[in-house]
Amino acid sequence: MRTVCIIGVGMTMFGRFPQSNVIELGRTACLNAVRDAGVATKDIQVAYAGHARTGQLHNRECGVGQSILWELGISGIPVSSVGNFCSSGSTALREAWLAVGSGMYDMAFAIGVEKLTGREGKGRPLTSDGVELLTVMGFSPPVYFGNVLTRHMKEYGTTMEQLAMVAVKNRRNAGPNPRCQYKDPITVEEVIHSPVIVDPLTLLNCCPTTDGAAAAILCSKEVAGRYTNKPVEIAASALCSGPYEKCKDITSFGADRLAALNAYEYAGIGPEDIDLAEVHDCFTIAEIVHYEDFGFCKKGEGGRFVEEGMSGMEGKIPVSPSGGLMSRGHPIGATGLAQICESVWQLRGVAENQVRGAKVAFTHCAGGFQDTIELGDIQSSAVTILKRGW
Amino acid sequence: MTADNSGSKAKVQEDLVDPKLRPLIRLAGSPSEKPRLIGSKCKSCGEYFFPKRVLCPNCLKEDVLEDVPLSNEGKLYTYCIVKAAPLGFDAPYAVGYVDLPEGLRIFSPLAECDKERLKIDMDVELIVDKIREDKTGQPIHGYKFKPASP
Ligand SMILES: [Zn+2]
Repeated sequence: MRTVCIIGVGMTMFGRFPQSNVIELGRTACLNAVRDAGVATKDIQVAYAGHARTGQLHNRECGVGQSILWELGISGIPVSSVGNFCSSGSTALREAWLAVGSGMYDMAFAIGVEKLTGREGKGRPLTSDGVELLTVMGFSPPVYFGNVLTRHMKEYGTTMEQLAMVAVKNRRNAGPNPRCQYKDPITVEEVIHSPVIVDPLTLLNCCPTTDGAAAAILCSKEVAGRYTNKPVEIAASALCSGPYEKCKDITSFGADRLAALNAYEYAGIGPEDIDLAEVHDCFTIAEIVHYEDFGFCKKGEGGRFVEEGMSGMEGKIPVSPSGGLMSRGHPIGATGLAQICESVWQLRGVAENQVRGAKVAFTHCAGGFQDTIELGDIQSSAVTILKRGW
Repeated sequence: MTADNSGSKAKVQEDLVDPKLRPLIRLAGSPSEKPRLIGSKCKSCGEYFFPKRVLCPNCLKEDVLEDVPLSNEGKLYTYCIVKAAPLGFDAPYAVGYVDLPEGLRIFSPLAECDKERLKIDMDVELIVDKIREDKTGQPIHGYKFKPASP
């Protein structure tokens, strides 16, 4: 594998855009990325589009990437869809990284897009893909994380206040970021007393329903020098399915631990080298578990980590400086690439909520539940490590 | 009660069970019996699975799995109480994961949704009861665990 760099990124505003469709959202993100990179569209040789629900919600299972690129006049190149739950966008990035890293192509497009508003069953939790037997018995993503939370509280004494501090921190981080769906500050009291969705999870402990798109342009390090003096290197991109351990510990996600381990090893770094992290904070308890699974703190100490400000802007590892899924929103297939956009801006030193002197960024997306009644693992976890290439 | 009557009663209850869950449950045939969940056990490596599997992933053989009734008593590993219900479900309802002695940790609706009466590691026992309603308001049954009688 040769070194691959990101030379351009772009995204839409994230929010509720009932009048938009996935193609328009994708077009805007891609155009922003092309302008940011300063490339000619004819130089893009391959593209991957991540989306997870366009088939189920908009009768568009395939061809999303082709249709978006058609709008930009990009044709005659290999384009494929990447469906991988909440990691769809991160997986599209990884495919693009492999395509350029292998030497087969010099420049690639990674796109992530999703439109979740306007779905049936508005106001009720989005059901999970697959897991038919679980769904007929009342399962949904917040149910899984509610179960994680009850056990985490019992084993480690994690409190509602500590959980709320994750939401409060991520909302504070979102304040200056115009792309976030929610930017107004919230308090610990407001989070705790918001309507209960799945006891013990209240509404403000859950990420919102959102539309949006994000994209990145990748090329070899050699080619990158022609376009920018600030190329962002992909130091690692790891993707793992679940380890599917029998009677697994619900307070830790095996796929995430493996993906992080593989990414650290490939990049030759450890958690102590990370300047910021954008993690999959779909629920506040998820962010607390991620601190532990990624080695930001010891197992069971995630609640204290946020309480002591260690994941805050001035802490050991600022987590979700962009506002995270909690504030930006979570258009499933777009999230992984939105994290990449925000992290590239951090490494260039131009983010609205800038982590001073950031040189190494860690991003993480995960999703999908093991399709069985036995307690299973997350089916897909993607960890990407970016670093300054200058 | 005649054999015919109990047979038709069982048939009525079976019809109420969600068709997707029917292969997973063996209803009580008589008042003295208890309902059971049906899983698989591998004759070769001894591992249990729920629901049933066709291929043992450890042995990569298809002819080694046999149907077995699982224990109808277990321990509550974790739980939560749903307040914003998906379509067809009545909030509040509780769901959780139950540890069975066969080395299985399985998802299950719970018959109790009072937070004061649910405790991690409490003993629970299997029943078959209403889990939700269909579009016409007809009850749909499935398996559930309830706190074990002391
Ligand atoms: Zn076996």
